[in-house]
Amino acid sequence: MKVTVIGGGVAGIQTAIALKELGLTPIIIEKNDHLGGKLCGWHKLFPTMTPAEQVLTPLLERVKALGIEVMLSTEVTSIDSDGVQTSQGRIESAATVICSGFDLFDATLKEEYGYGIYDNVITSADLERMMNNGKVALADGTQPHRIAFLHCVGSRDEKVQQRHCSKVCCVTGVKQAIEMRRWFPKSEIYNFYMDIRMFGAGYEEMYRSAQQEHGIQFIRGRISEAAPVLNGKVQIKAEDTLIGRPLKMTVDLLVLLIGMTAGQSNKCWTRCAGITQSDSMFLKPKNMFAGNVCSDAPNIFYAGTVTAPKTIGESLNEANAAAMRVAQYLGRL
Amino acid sequence: MHFDLHTNPFAIPFTIGCIVMFAVLAYKYVRWIYRLPKSDKRLIRKNLFSSKSWRAVCEAISESLLHRRIFRTNPILGYMHMSLAFGWFLLIVVGFIETVAYMGWTPIPLRGHVFFKFYSRELEHSALWQSVFTNIMDALLLFVLSGVALAWLKRLYSRMMGMRRTTRHVWGDRVALSALWFIFPLRLIAESTTSAIWHNGGFLTGSLGEFIDKTLSFEAIWHLESVSWFIYALALGVFFCAMPFSRYMHIFTEVPLIFLRKYGIKSDVQPKSFDHFQIEACSRCGICIDPCQLQRDAGIDNVQAVYYLRDRRYNMLTAEVADNCLMCGRCAERCPVGVDILQLRQNSRYTLHNSPSFRRYNYLQGVDTSTGSGRVGYFAGCMTLLSPRIMNAMERIFKAANEEVWWADKNGGVCCGRPIKLTGEVDAAQEMVKHNTELFTKHQITTLVTSCPICLKVFKEDYNLPGIEILHHSEYIDRLIQNGRLKVAQNSGKYTYHDPCELGRGCGIYDEPRRIIESIGVLLEPTETRQQALCCGSSIANTAINDEKQLKIATSLGQTLEATGADSIVTACPLCKKAVKRGSRLAVLDLAEIVADNLK
Amino acid sequence: MIDFGFGVNVARAVNMDRNNLDTAHDIFNSLPDLQACIACGSCTATCTAGNLTSFNFRKVHTLVRRGEYKEAYSEMSKCMLCGKCRLVCPRGINTRGVVLTIKKKLGDY
Repeated sequence: MKVTVIGGGVAGIQTAIALKELGLTPIIIEKNDHLGGKLCGWHKLFPTMTPAEQVLTPLLERVKALGIEVMLSTEVTSIDSDGVQTSQGRIESAATVICSGFDLFDATLKEEYGYGIYDNVITSADLERMMNNGKVALADGTQPHRIAFLHCVGSRDEKVQQRHCSKVCCVTGVKQAIEMRRWFPKSEIYNFYMDIRMFGAGYEEMYRSAQQEHGIQFIRGRISEAAPVLNGKVQIKAEDTLIGRPLKMTVDLLVLLIGMTAGQSNKCWTRCAGITQSDSMFLKPKNMFAGNVCSDAPNIFYAGTVTAPKTIGESLNEANAAAMRVAQYLGRL
Repeated sequence: MHFDLHTNPFAIPFTIGCIVMFAVLAYKYVRWIYRLPKSDKRLIRKNLFSSKSWRAVCEAISESLLHRRIFRTNPILGYMHMSLAFGWFLLIVVGFIETVAYMGWTPIPLRGHVFFKFYSRELEHSALWQSVFTNIMDALLLFVLSGVALAWLKRLYSRMMGMRRTTRHVWGDRVALSALWFIFPLRLIAESTTSAIWHNGGFLTGSLGEFIDKTLSFEAIWHLESVSWFIYALALGVFFCAMPFSRYMHIFTEVPLIFLRKYGIKSDVQPKSFDHFQIEACSRCGICIDPCQLQRDAGIDNVQAVYYLRDRRYNMLTAEVADNCLMCGRCAERCPVGVDILQLRQNSRYTLHNSPSFRRYNYLQGVDTSTGSGRVGYFAGCMTLLSPRIMNAMERIFKAANEEVWWADKNGGVCCGRPIKLTGEVDAAQEMVKHNTELFTKHQITTLVTSCPICLKVFKEDYNLPGIEILHHSEYIDRLIQNGRLKVAQNSGKYTYHDPCELGRGCGIYDEPRRIIESIGVLLEPTETRQQALCCGSSIANTAINDEKQLKIATSLGQTLEATGADSIVTACPLCKKAVKRGSRLAVLDLAEIVADNLK
Repeated sequence: MIDFGFGVNVARAVNMDRNNLDTAHDIFNSLPDLQACIACGSCTATCTAGNLTSFNFRKVHTLVRRGEYKEAYSEMSKCMLCGKCRLVCPRGINTRGVVLTIKKKLGDY
């Protein structure tokens, strides 16, 4: 029986693999010309510093080995109870799993941080790309001496209508700070945070090692604005809330830890009966406990960050859970 | 036969009403004028016998009687107000002429004029006079009655007159309103009954009189006559007594307001006696309710100009009402009486919040964080400092125009003072005005450019900067383009422009930004634009509104701007820019940005 | 300059048993948003007045919320009400309203 999987990121791939293994016929529809989603541009994964490809490559090989049908460069334009409409025509299926993921927050919306205006203000995603390419440097090619990370850019922020916590940026910030320490052993690294949320196994330990072994300074205060100074440096303003005084600092590089925002396509999915968005614009599962991967429509399921920010591990687990529910629904269990 | 004013005492309520009304009116007006500051009195003395008085007479006729401005809002609404005001006025004037025509220039009490039909029933009439006057009077009565009918209809279907919402009235207004609604139908019945007995009616009262004559017994008609005249007089009496205490105070007050305004008297940042004329000239017509975005988008329904003025008039104004206003000026733009709502609200806030400035701002002494040097000074403004793209664009523009610039506040400056002034703390604002004035003078600039319309407005209004030309960056850039110092490249972009309140309605700058946009791309106007432009909702004038409601207003504005089909939204205020961006998915740019990005 | 809670001679602890919290509750009631503060310090970092003097908006309103009203009025009076803080607040708090309310509830006018 045919099952449509919308999105070829880690959640989509794993869902398709699990479905195939359960004897169903999944088809992955991916809008890009390659599988892997946002994991493709990523360098290493927290908290183990596992290279992203070590997770992705086996998944891609398995897709090939199982002969799962994949439609690349294809956009889903609408979902209904009998299948999906795509830019390449209609696909009929018995069930649909939405794994369309999230969007990265557009840092230009926080204009006061100067992303897209000043050369040496970059996002966490830019930094991963730089590390992947093996060259981390300032815009003029030199090495940064002083680096600041800013947590919660596009998360927990009413001003850009992103109320939710993106969950993974705190630990990403700590991970990237440690990596930067390895790239530039002599640099000063500062993380500006509102709260440090270390929720997963090994995360808190990594935070502690960042402080103790890697000498990362954590300053409790959110940067309010960044201004350009000479030589491409950036002056940032924050309050050191633990001292209770404003703080100014000139840095060579400012890294914005951008959050996860609900996918643009979510709004389009809600045109299908049974799919609704929560206040954060992520899709709303049928039940936060027993029905995490279910929609209100009996044959439409969710996996991964389409419902909320999640880590890679969580997305993979949800993919398996969603596949189980699909099999259950189709009477294969 | 004779003209006997004493046979029937039915007119007593009317007489009492008249006495109460005129006594209260006289007391109020004399007191308010007496309490005017000396400078205002001087203006009256100076202009009383000038052409200004004549112009005031003309305005009083066109506004108080003909209601020209309401006609502009909606013709049916205008007709309703005109038929009531002008119709009633003519009834009184023609009624007076009628009395004179019959009686000659003998002085007779007011009730003799008003109830002439009753008192004159036993007079010998010339047939010609009778048919001319009674028919004119009947026509006028019909004219007024048509207005009353429309007023009734308006309560039911206000949308017919272009009003989505009408005013919620206090009970005093309801009493006066009910009395007013009944006055003319009662007059019709009273005059028709008299006509049934004496056959002295015109086409309206005469025909109705004949009908009454046919249907009722003679005795019944006789009783009905005295009863109906009494109720009519009672309705008039009630209305007159309620009038100076209700919204109908506007009927007379609008006239002195027009005169005083023509003489150059204005409300100020501090309350003064003239404010009474403005406050009591409000007819609570409610035209200000619909344009209010707090009502329309945020569901706040007790702060609009009409409610604010009412609360202030009856001494029940709270800070919640006074502070909850964007001061966007959309209501003032539509007010048919031309009440200076923004200044009144400003001075209410003064009463509520002004506190002495003392040593509060001692820390401002000697502060100078400015950089660069040049005859042109650029004051970004606090909000612009949070919008580096504007700063960056201005820098590129100055460079392209080869302008030497003194940067007043690149590293953070002192606030211009308008935000705190708008909260009512006028004394505190003066400290900032003083500080910045010294700063500008010290650096000997000749032109002061700012990107923030809030700063612009206070620079123009409250700063005394002789020898310094004050320009908004839109005016400055426009000038650079006009005289060839700046060359911009045309592109195929479709832009829409959002008029910031402080720049448009506040400073009257509408054309310069549009000229700049048109020199770059295509300009698409939203449905409500220029003087009618919407507010972004984030106005610093409102210290009561919460974030959620600001967002609702911004979203609604965003939809209006997106409906133009433009690819990007252009505005000329850093605060608007941030607010509009929250309410729209389109790119939101400052004027300076599109200019800097399209420099040749 | 007043340095809140860092004096050497005065009792350091904020005594929530002794402090009268009525005014604080009053302020919350008229501005419930204020409860949403997560003490990120953006307001203080961007503050026009805080750039020039020791005024710390976050600290003053936090002290008020704990019932420490001393000097709060005169500290809040240093605010120029420019509104930058409201623009940067991630919780969308009506910060200017907070300044006005605190001054009104704690002032002597």
